Amino acid sequence: MTYHQRTARQLQLLLLPCVLLVGALVVYPALYSIYLSLTNASLVGVAATHPRFVGTRNYVRLFADGGFWNSLAVTFWFVLGSAVIGQFVLGLAAAVLLRRPLRFKHLINSIILLPNAVPEVVAGFIWISMLAGGDHATLNRLLGALGIPPVRWLQDFPLAMIIVVNTWRGIASAMILMTAGLSAVPGEIREAARIDGASPRQVFRFITLPLIMPTIFLYMLVSTVTTISIFGFIYALTRGGPGNATEIIGIYIYNQSFTAFQLGYGSAVAVVTLILSLAIGLVYVRALKVEV
Amino acid sequence: MFNGRILAGISVAVALAIGSAQAKTIRIAEHRQARIDALKTVVPDIEKKYNVHIEVVEYPAPEKDYLTKLLTELRAGNAPDIFTAPHGQDVADMAAAGYLAPLTAELKAWDGYAQSVDAAKAMATGKDGQMYVLPAMLNVQQIYYRRDILEKAGISTAQPKTWAELLDRAKEIKAKTGAYGLLFPAGVTWGGGSFTEGFRLLIVGTSTPQIANDDGTLNLTSPGIKDAFGFYADLINNDLMPIQPLLEPEPWVLPKYQMFPAGKLVATTSGSWCYIYDWGPESKNPIPNVTEVVGSWEVPGKQGGQYVLVDLESPWAVNSKSPDVGLAKKVMLELGSVKADVAYAQNLGNIPGRTDAAADPDFQKLKPLVPILAALKNGTGTYLKTAEGFSAVAEGVARATEAQLRKKTDAAGAQKILVDYVKEVVGDEAVK
Amino acid sequence: MNETEPVVPRPRGRDAVAYAILSLISIYCAIPFVWLVLASFDANAALFLRWPSPWTLNNYIGIFVREGGARWFFNSFVVVGAATIIVLVFSGFGGYALSRTNAWWKRPFLYTIILVRVVPPPALVVPLYSILLTANNAVASFVRSLLAPELMRPAMLVVGLIDGYLGLILVFAAMQLPLALWIMKTYFDTIPYDYEEAALVDGASLFQRLRLVLAPLALPGLGAAGIFAFISAWGDFLMPLIFLSSSELQMLPLGLFRAFLRVQQIDYGFLSALAILYMLPAVIAFGFARRYFVQTFSGGVKA
Repeated sequence: MTYHQRTARQLQLLLLPCVLLVGALVVYPALYSIYLSLTNASLVGVAATHPRFVGTRNYVRLFADGGFWNSLAVTFWFVLGSAVIGQFVLGLAAAVLLRRPLRFKHLINSIILLPNAVPEVVAGFIWISMLAGGDHATLNRLLGALGIPPVRWLQDFPLAMIIVVNTWRGIASAMILMTAGLSAVPGEIREAARIDGASPRQVFRFITLPLIMPTIFLYMLVSTVTTISIFGFIYALTRGGPGNATEIIGIYIYNQSFTAFQLGYGSAVAVVTLILSLAIGLVYVRALKVEV
Repeated sequence: MFNGRILAGISVAVALAIGSAQAKTIRIAEHRQARIDALKTVVPDIEKKYNVHIEVVEYPAPEKDYLTKLLTELRAGNAPDIFTAPHGQDVADMAAAGYLAPLTAELKAWDGYAQSVDAAKAMATGKDGQMYVLPAMLNVQQIYYRRDILEKAGISTAQPKTWAELLDRAKEIKAKTGAYGLLFPAGVTWGGGSFTEGFRLLIVGTSTPQIANDDGTLNLTSPGIKDAFGFYADLINNDLMPIQPLLEPEPWVLPKYQMFPAGKLVATTSGSWCYIYDWGPESKNPIPNVTEVVGSWEVPGKQGGQYVLVDLESPWAVNSKSPDVGLAKKVMLELGSVKADVAYAQNLGNIPGRTDAAADPDFQKLKPLVPILAALKNGTGTYLKTAEGFSAVAEGVARATEAQLRKKTDAAGAQKILVDYVKEVVGDEAVK
Repeated sequence: MNETEPVVPRPRGRDAVAYAILSLISIYCAIPFVWLVLASFDANAALFLRWPSPWTLNNYIGIFVREGGARWFFNSFVVVGAATIIVLVFSGFGGYALSRTNAWWKRPFLYTIILVRVVPPPALVVPLYSILLTANNAVASFVRSLLAPELMRPAMLVVGLIDGYLGLILVFAAMQLPLALWIMKTYFDTIPYDYEEAALVDGASLFQRLRLVLAPLALPGLGAAGIFAFISAWGDFLMPLIFLSSSELQMLPLGLFRAFLRVQQIDYGFLSALAILYMLPAVIAFGFARRYFVQTFSGGVKA
């Protein structure tokens, strides 16, 4: 065995525990749901104990199902509004501004980090109180002090509200990554550009931004993936309602699998999500021209 | 230090387990504090009688989470030995899956069988003639109203004879007192209650009073279904019931626990539990002198007739995959004893399913419940036959009435939502 | 934070703008907590914002006196703590391997594990349950062959895969590993190969190199990966809901979630006090790990 072969073997050995654990408890269940998606498996009724193979029937039904398309659309706006725009813009702004030697820098930093540490059930619970209808609810009362009449936030603007709440939860992770990315940009380059007469905006646009592109890519990939898979806090906050206005894909799968008890159909939704995310992953890699 | 704490934890658990090492263990799933408290009053006797160790496993209280956990375990064959189906309407679907051990022989040999209310026995029997659940507790539902407020406003408290009369009464309440006139539960967040505490009370009074056909299909395209949604439409369009709270989580809290006691809602459907739980001694917001102040009407039919609705209340079932089905059945039958029934009645205000509970001195202390049980004994009580697919019907009704609450559809549209949903879930061929 | 600040003097007006924007972001982040904190000290807390009357500590005390608060905390720490340790060890090794290898499967593997995480947890519950139940039965028959019958149950509470610590620990670890592997892989990419070569010249084996040279260097990366794994597992409620039943094993999210409809009327005071205690460990952990973030993520993604 050559030295290189031995090293390769050792590296594989190091990775083995991860492969086993992720393979058994993440990849295998995902593959199993491909199998389930080809059956009429259910949680109640005869199909619970004796599922039948139904071929692609679940998929055919899926593409004709308005509820499914609705949940894809809701998920799209949710990811775009919160992960791609809301968290990213506010996180980047915070990261850029907190590079200044401001007086309350550490306090502000801590406050922004706080929501990120809030467990999903608590996040749902807090925001129910914030956004409840009626003039006693927290937000309405605060706005009432400014003379703004009460709004039924979760009833009238449900999708916007879950975007607001998820942005709230995620500013910190965007800020952390962007701070790190910015710190890797050599100060001398920016200074040189400034001395050459570039405006701060130009420095940011033409020097800083290209240099933090790899960080942005990592952020976009990870936050898109984790946002698509969100379930817990929307479940605690709106359970997908009113109607199906906030029925993101995770809630839709839950409703199909555990409210309508149709495991096979719910699994088909999960499989389609997986395929779509592969496409999104490819788009990111191509569009941002970054290699792993 | 970490290891030390884990070891300490283990040794405590060991000590607990050794104490009961001799006896077999039967696991009972139960949820909600009041139900658990009731269960625990009878557990020691059962443990002694059969030399078993009974482990009460607390399940999550929200109905959907309860079902999610229980059904996941049942499907994998790893659920507790004894558990409850949340509503009578869920039994047929769970039985069809093979989750429930048949109980016919045991129930017929059981000393409580002769005492059981006929309606309860009928509801516990599936269309294959087998019984899968213990008809221990019943919920009895009708319309409850604030007698004091009606009298003060000079509004009749006589039994309304038809839907039209009932709606007129609600409109009169609205006009004369400004309060909401009548609440029927609706919407998705109320869960199974939109069906069991709302829609079901209407459908029995229509021209098509049953949903389950004899051949096992579901009759959802009937005019009765549309009429029932039409009744909801009248309530909603005339602003007779509070809509906003029904769209929020825990929809019953505001109308039932706050608006009704405060007189801002004057009539509502409810079960007999309201005298104990919602507005009675167990309530956080009790109505003083509740049995005098709160009166009841039977639910009128569309063109006439009067109905008091009965349903199995969270009926007990035995896991068909229990390691010791025989013992589990014996233990479960004990949960139908007079003592157990009365304990649940005391804590929750439901009605025992057996007539001999009426003679129990503790039950007689529950004054508002005594006449209800007596009436059941005499054969009053209307019930809806259930069938496979009823879980889907209940969810479909919740979705349809939600759309009505949000003023997105009319009665015909609501019926279409129901039919489409049930077809999607149980298949086109099951719906007529 | 040791980044260099530009020496060009900045006009004061810009600072004012910065303060204004940062204040708005801070208010947005902080304001939802106002109700939570007030309600937790309120004897008559409601879903609505109100000044506590009367002020009370009973909500907090009740968690430990009336309910099994101490046990919930203990269980949460055991399960999430153990899962985090597994994530740290596995992702440390795995991340290093992924960083140093050039094998053909490297990129497919990295993308597979991260993209498979888009599958929302509800879709994984049923398959996971059957896998774990199968494994659990194997563990149970093994334990039965070792231990006296009366020790079975306490043993299974620890090593059981369904309704036992071990099962949930493995589930959490597996769910958090993909992100941790990415973090560690990108972090090891920033550590030059020179360090190892020096050790290699001295004749150190791979494991010596890992232990003596790379482990100390990897600390910031591990800190960041660990904190994300901890916070995410700490906040999850669906998996404990499905996989735990025994009262001995109840965890914080279940205590919180169960309190919702346990009685018909929600006890908002109790709930908010518990919510505050529940989020506290995650907040503290975040505070400690903050300094690792910059070092860890400054590399971004490199070829």
